[in-house]
Amino acid sequence: MSDTVTLEFPAETRNVALARTVAAAMAARVDLPLDQLEDVRLAVDEAVTQAIAVAKSGSSVTCAFETDGNVLRATITTPTDALETPSTTSFGWTVLSALVDSAAADLSDGHLAIRLQVTSDLVDV
Amino acid sequence: MTSAQQQTGGWTDSQRRHEHLLLDEFHRLSSDDPRRVQVRDELITMHLPLVRHLARRYRDRGESMDDLVQVGTVGLIKAIDGFDATRGVELSTYATPTILGEIKRHFRDRTWAVRVPRRLQELQLQVTARSEELSTTLHRSPTVRELAASLEVSEADVLDALEARQAYATDSLDAERDDDSAPRLTATLGAEDAAFDAIDDRETLRPLLEALPERERAILMMRFFQNMSQSQIADELGISQMHVSRLLAKTLAALREGMSAY
Repeated sequence: MSDTVTLEFPAETRNVALARTVAAAMAARVDLPLDQLEDVRLAVDEAVTQAIAVAKSGSSVTCAFETDGNVLRATITTPTDALETPSTTSFGWTVLSALVDSAAADLSDGHLAIRLQVTSDLVDV
Repeated sequence: MTSAQQQTGGWTDSQRRHEHLLLDEFHRLSSDDPRRVQVRDELITMHLPLVRHLARRYRDRGESMDDLVQVGTVGLIKAIDGFDATRGVELSTYATPTILGEIKRHFRDRTWAVRVPRRLQELQLQVTARSEELSTTLHRSPTVRELAASLEVSEADVLDALEARQAYATDSLDAERDDDSAPRLTATLGAEDAAFDAIDDRETLRPLLEALPERERAILMMRFFQNMSQSQIADELGISQMHVSRLLAKTLAALREGMSAY
């Protein structure tokens, strides 16, 4: 069963908690064990924080969560003036990539997108 | 018969004599004598069954046994340090109220950082306790679905409870992080520094990492550089997965705050 939920909010740090909460709810839908669910919550927290840090002033951050079988994908996007994606050798990125199966960032048309993917550790549920 | 007497009741005379000799020696040694630590460790080990016995009384209140034994042991250590053999009471009798006192203080100190409805507080405690139980039987952490089915509540309720958990203050255990019951992880930290050398914001990060309490730093290393799961870290440190989760979130938040200050 596949499902997409999209959350959009002003690029301000007080909204990070909203993204965390939705992330946990979506993680539960793909049957992530609590260990992994907490990791996703932290990863989304980190990705959204990074997005807010480079967002154009007065713009929004969009978080799209897509469930597909036992896979959860999260795409965090925001308009930005940044010319480069966040450094993959930064501490924040090291944390991000340790928390999920894959983490990638790309920049196109003045929009930053951070893409996270995680698959439930449970084989058959 | 009090529980303390039951606890030592199983000891042979020679064990009891051994304990008395250790206590004598402990209080004769000067506080900087390395032998004193050895003697104290042995006394602690001898009385751990008593701590476990007392901690079990509180096991249905949503805290993990590991955490309760840990705080109970702090009480035991205080009792050993303050014990006066000339008063003619057994250490176990003397230590029982001190151990219980620490465990009770642990519950009292765990206050809610923000107001959370009572029903949710109770559910949070149930989720925590059930999660520990299921982790033991499943050999992994349970899913929200499994927790909901086991507790006969909705998945949304479990998610609410998990959210509420984030609002739970944990200061009482953190206050004890400087004692020497922390595992010897410093040995592994040197190798991890090499990993940090590859990170480009290390100049701002390093002082922040160095300022972290040893346990928080160790948890961070184990999670992000040794790829251990929260459950594995919890096993290693003898605390609950919930506690690891809270410490990790708090540590990352503190690091992030510190880095943005540069």
